[in-house]
Amino acid sequence: MMWISIAALTALAVLSVLVPLGFRRAPVVALDADRAFYEAQISEIERDVARGVLSLSDAESAKAEAARRLIEKHDAQKPAANSDRSRRLAAALAILFIPGLALGLYMNLGNPDLPDIPLSARLTAPPVPNDVFAAIAKIEQHLATNPDDARGWEIVAPVYLKTGRPRDAVNAWNNVIRIAGPSPDRYTAIGEALLFAEQGKVSPEALGAFEKALELEPRFPQARFYVGLAAEQAGNVERARAIWSALVADAPEGASWIEPVRARIAALGPQIKVPAPDELAARAVTALPQGEQQTVIRSMVERLAARLKEDGKDPEGWLMLINAYNVQKEPEKARDALSEARKALSGDEAALEKLKTLARQLGLEG
Amino acid sequence: MTRKSRRLVLISSALAVLAFAAGLVLFALRDTIVFFYTPSDIDAKHVAPGTRLRLGGLVKEGSVVKAEGKAITFAVRDANGEIRVSYTGLLPDLFREGQGVVAEGVFEGKGQFRADSVLAKHDETYMPRDLAESLKKQGLWQHNQPGAPEARGK
Amino acid sequence: MIVETGHFALILALALAIVQAIIPLWGSLSRDATLMRAAPTIALAQFVMVAIAYGALTWAYVTSDFSLVNVFENSHSLKPLIYKISGVWGNHEGSMLLWVLILVLFGALVALSARNMPDDLSASVLSVQAWISGAFLLFILLTSNPFARVGMPPIEGRDLNPILQDPGLAIHPPMLYLGYVGFSMTFSFAAAALINGRIDAVWARYVRPWALLAWLFLTLGIAMGSYWAYYTLGWGGFWFWDPVENASLMPWLAGTALLHCTAVMEKRDALKIWTIFLAILAFSLSLLGTFLVRSGVLTSVHAFASDPQRGVFILGILTLFIGGSLTLFAIRAPMLKQGALFAPVSREGALVLNNLLLTTACATVFVGTLYPLALEALTGAKISVGPPFFNYTFVPLFIPIFFAMPVGQLLAWKRGDLLGAAQRLTLVALAGLLAALIFYAMQGGPALSAAMGGVAIFVILGSFFDIASRIASGSSGGAMVARAMGMPRSAWGTAFAHAGVGVTLLGLAATGWGVEKIASMRSGDSVELGQWQVTLDKVAPRPGPNYRETVAHMTIRSGGAVVAQIEPSRRFFNSRRMTTSQAGLLNVSLGQIYVVISDQETEEPLDTRLYWKPFVSLIWLGPLMMAIGGALSLTDRRMRLGIAQRAKRRRGPEPKPLAAE
Repeated sequence: MMWISIAALTALAVLSVLVPLGFRRAPVVALDADRAFYEAQISEIERDVARGVLSLSDAESAKAEAARRLIEKHDAQKPAANSDRSRRLAAALAILFIPGLALGLYMNLGNPDLPDIPLSARLTAPPVPNDVFAAIAKIEQHLATNPDDARGWEIVAPVYLKTGRPRDAVNAWNNVIRIAGPSPDRYTAIGEALLFAEQGKVSPEALGAFEKALELEPRFPQARFYVGLAAEQAGNVERARAIWSALVADAPEGASWIEPVRARIAALGPQIKVPAPDELAARAVTALPQGEQQTVIRSMVERLAARLKEDGKDPEGWLMLINAYNVQKEPEKARDALSEARKALSGDEAALEKLKTLARQLGLEG
Repeated sequence: MTRKSRRLVLISSALAVLAFAAGLVLFALRDTIVFFYTPSDIDAKHVAPGTRLRLGGLVKEGSVVKAEGKAITFAVRDANGEIRVSYTGLLPDLFREGQGVVAEGVFEGKGQFRADSVLAKHDETYMPRDLAESLKKQGLWQHNQPGAPEARGK
Repeated sequence: MIVETGHFALILALALAIVQAIIPLWGSLSRDATLMRAAPTIALAQFVMVAIAYGALTWAYVTSDFSLVNVFENSHSLKPLIYKISGVWGNHEGSMLLWVLILVLFGALVALSARNMPDDLSASVLSVQAWISGAFLLFILLTSNPFARVGMPPIEGRDLNPILQDPGLAIHPPMLYLGYVGFSMTFSFAAAALINGRIDAVWARYVRPWALLAWLFLTLGIAMGSYWAYYTLGWGGFWFWDPVENASLMPWLAGTALLHCTAVMEKRDALKIWTIFLAILAFSLSLLGTFLVRSGVLTSVHAFASDPQRGVFILGILTLFIGGSLTLFAIRAPMLKQGALFAPVSREGALVLNNLLLTTACATVFVGTLYPLALEALTGAKISVGPPFFNYTFVPLFIPIFFAMPVGQLLAWKRGDLLGAAQRLTLVALAGLLAALIFYAMQGGPALSAAMGGVAIFVILGSFFDIASRIASGSSGGAMVARAMGMPRSAWGTAFAHAGVGVTLLGLAATGWGVEKIASMRSGDSVELGQWQVTLDKVAPRPGPNYRETVAHMTIRSGGAVVAQIEPSRRFFNSRRMTTSQAGLLNVSLGQIYVVISDQETEEPLDTRLYWKPFVSLIWLGPLMMAIGGALSLTDRRMRLGIAQRAKRRRGPEPKPLAAE
C-alpha cells in the first residue's frame, strides 16, 4: 500500500510538469493585459466624472496620460520565442529529477515500513502482558470520561507511584478523597507520594497530609512514623525519638514494622546524658544501706537545690536536679524546678534547649 | 516649481524627518536603556546607588518576607553575592524560592534594591536568556530541576 | 501509512519547488511561452503535496499517533480536539509547515489567476515563490522535520504548552502567518518585476490585492496576539514592546507604507523604485521576525520554541533572499523609467509623507529591537530597551500621522490645496477639541488622555469627512443614499481603515481613566472598583479535561444591583507541571472588568488584582475596523482585474470579531 501511494504521488508530481510542457502554447503577450488595464482605468475615470468626483478637464488629462502609457507599452513589447529543444530538456529534468530527489531523500529520512500507530489502535489491541503503560493509558481514558469513579482512581494511584509519577498519584488520591471521602490511609498515601516526589524529603505539603491523617485517627501508625521522620529531618532528633518510642510502645503484638522503627530509633544515636553526680559521692552513697541511702540522696538533692537558688547559672546542676526529682518520683517538684531553671537560665539558648529536651524525655510537658 | 526644486523639497523634508528620528533615538538610547546585572556584577562593577537596572538571579531560599499590606522583601542571589529586594505588589505566578527571577528597579546602595516590577520565569523550563547565561557561568544552573517533565517510555 | 505518505508528499513538494524555481524562470528569461506556462500546474501540484503532508500531520495529532516525535512532544490524548488541531501549529515544526502551506496556497491562487496575467509576470512570480518555498521546505526537512518517528512509541504525549491551549492562540498564528506570507507574494511580484524589467501601473494593480490581503491578516494577527497577551499573561497589559511583538509590528509598518505606495503607483505611475524597495523590505522584515522568534536570539515573553542551529539556517535564508533581492534591485533600479511628476502638496505628496513617517517609525522599532543584540555582541554589556525608549521615539513620529491622515485624504492628485483642505477640516478639528474638553470634564484624570481622545475623535470624523461631504451634497434623501451606494468601495475601505486608527487611539487614551486595585480577599469581601463593587463569593476547585483548576466565584454589582458573575481561575496542568492564570473578564459596553487571582498555597485570603478598563475594547476593535476597511477595498471592482477576481472567491469568510472570553 505504501509503495502504491508513493508511486501515485510521484506520478502526479511528474505529470504536473510534463502535461503543460506537452502543449505548445501561443504566448499571451503582456500587451493584452495592459490594454485591459488602461481601458478599465479610462472607464473608471468616466465613472468618476459621472459621479462628479472628477472635473472634466482633470478627466481629460488623466485619460491622455493613460493613453500615453499604453502606447509606450506597445513599443516596448518583445516577441516571444518557442523552442522544442528547451521543452525536451525541461521534460527530461522533470522525469529524472523529481523521482530521483524524492525517493533518494525519502529513503534517508522516512520510515516506509512503519505503519500509523494511533493511540486508539494500541488501546483496543490485546494487552501485552506487563505493559503497564498501556494499562495506565486505558484507565486514564476511562477516568477522563468517568472522572467520578473512585475505584478507578484508587487502582491507578499506586501504579502511578510505581511508574515514577508521584504527582499524578497525589492527584489520583485527591480525587479518591473528593469522591469517596477522606480516610487516614488515603491521606497517608498522599503524603507518601509527595515524599517520593521530593526524593524522600518530608515537605510541608507532605507533613500536612500526614497531620490530616492523624486528625482522623490519632494513633495511625504509618502517619506517626512519617511525622517522626519529618522531625528527624528538621533536626529535632529528640522529638523524633519520642514519637517513634511512643509508636513502638503502642505497637500491637508482633507488628512487622516494630523492628525497622527500633532500628531507626537506634540510628538516632544516644540520648542527651544527664550529668552524673560526682563519682566519689555516688560510690559512697551506693555503699550505704537502703534507708540511709535515700536520706543521703535527699540531703544531697536539697543542698543542690539550695545552691542553685543562690546561683542559678549552672545548667548542668539544674538538669541533675530535675532528673533527681524525677527519679524520686516527685514530678511536682521536678516541674517547679524546671520552671525555676527556665527563669534562672533565661537568655542561655543552648541551656534552654537542653531543658526542653529533658522535659520532653521525662514527660514533664504536654 | 521646477522638477529640480520639487525634488529638493522632497529630499529635504525626508532628511528633516530622518534627522528628527535620529535625534529621538540617540536621546532615548542615552536615557531609557537599562542594564542587566547579577548581584556579583553589582559588586564587581561598583554600580552607583540610584542607578536604574535589571537585577537577575535566584530567589534565595527562606528569604521571602511578606510584610503588612502588599510589601514584600526577598533576596536575590548568585554564586558570589546577594541583594535584598523590596517590592510592593503581587508577585508573578511563577515566583518561587530557589527559582530564577528578574527584578527591574533602582539600586539603592548597600545591597538594597527597590523593584517596581518583578518577572519570574515564564514556564518551568524557560529562563530569561541573560539570567541563564550568567548562572551557567557561575555553575548555579541545574538543567534537570525536580519537577521538570521527564521523558518517559522512549 | 497516512503519516508516511504525508512525509513523502512533503519531500515531493520540495522536488516540485526546485523544478518550479527553475523552469518558469528559464522560460521567462528566454521568452519561451511553453516553459513559462508550465508554472501554474506545477504550483498547483506543489500545493496539493504540501496540503497532503499537512493533512497527514493533523491526522497524526487527532489520532494521537505518538510514534511521531513531534506529536509526542506536543500533544496529549486527553487534550480537547480543537487543541489537537491547533496543536499542529503550536510548535516549531508544525508552525513552519503551516507557513509553507500558506505560501503554496497563495502560489496556487496566483496560478489559478495566471490566465489574466502576462505570462512572463506569472512565470517569474511563481518561480520566485518556489525559491522561497523550496528554501523553507529544505529547512523543514533538514532541521525541523515534523515526521521524525520512533518505532516504540510512548503511550502518552507530553502535552501542548498550557499557555498555548487557548482559543485566542489557536487562531493567532495562522492570521499572523497569512500576513507574513502575504508579503512574500508582494516580494515575489517585486522580484519578478525586477527580473522582467517591467514595473508600471499594471504591475501595481496586480500587487495591490496581495498587499491588502497580507496587511489585513497581519493587522488581525497582531491585534489577536495583543488581546491574547492581555488576557493570558494576567498583567492587563496589551503591548509590551517585546521583541516578538516588534517583529510583527515592523512588517506591518513597512506593509502599510507599501499599501499606500501601490495606490500612488497604480494611479500615477510614480514612486516605482520606492514601491519595489518597500515590497522587499516588508518581506525581509517578516523573515527577520521569523528568525528572531525561531532562533531564540532575543529574550521574549512569547518565545516558546527556540533553537540556535535552526536560527543559523534561517539566517542563511534571510541573507539569501534579502541579499539577492537587494542586489537585483541595485542592478535594475537605475534602469527604471522616471515616474510621473507631482507637486509636494498633493495626494502623492501626502502619501510620501506617510511613507516617510511609517518607515522612519519602523526604523526606530528596528533600532530598539536589535540595538541590545548589537551592543552585547560588541561590548558584552547586557541592556534592555523597554517601553520608555519606544515612547520617546516611536510615539513622536506617529503623532504627525494622526494629523496628516484626514488632511491628506482631502488633497487632490498631482497638485493639492493645503489651505483649502485645512479649511474644510475646521469643523472636524473643532469637534475634536470639543471632545477633548468633554473627556476632561467627564473623566478628569490625565490631561494627556483627554488630548489623545480629542485627536482620536478628529481622526475618526476626519476619515469619514470626505465621503460624508460628498453624500451630503445630494439634493434629497434618496439622492444621498444613491450617492453613498455609488461611492467606490475602496473609498469606504479607506475611510474605515483610517477611522480604525482613530478608534484604537481612543482605546489607548482611555487607559488613563482606568482603575487598578490589588486586594487580599476572603469569601464575602467586596472591593470598590470605579463604579463597580466586586464580591468574592467562594473559592472552589473544579476538574477540567487535562487540568485541575481553582476558581474564584465573584459577583459584580453596580449600586447594589447584580451585573454579572465572573470566574477568574488558576489552572494546573499536571502533564507539564505548569500553572496558568485565566483572567475573569466582563465586557461592559466598551470597557472591561478584568480580575486575576494569584497562585498561592492557601485558598484564603486570595491575592487578587482587579482592573476597570473603560473603552479598552476599542484597542482591538480599531484593528478590526482597519481589517474591515481592507476587506471592503479588496471587494472594490477595480481590484477585480486580474488576481483578485479569482482570489476573492477563495478567501475565507469575513474575519470574525476578536474572541472575547
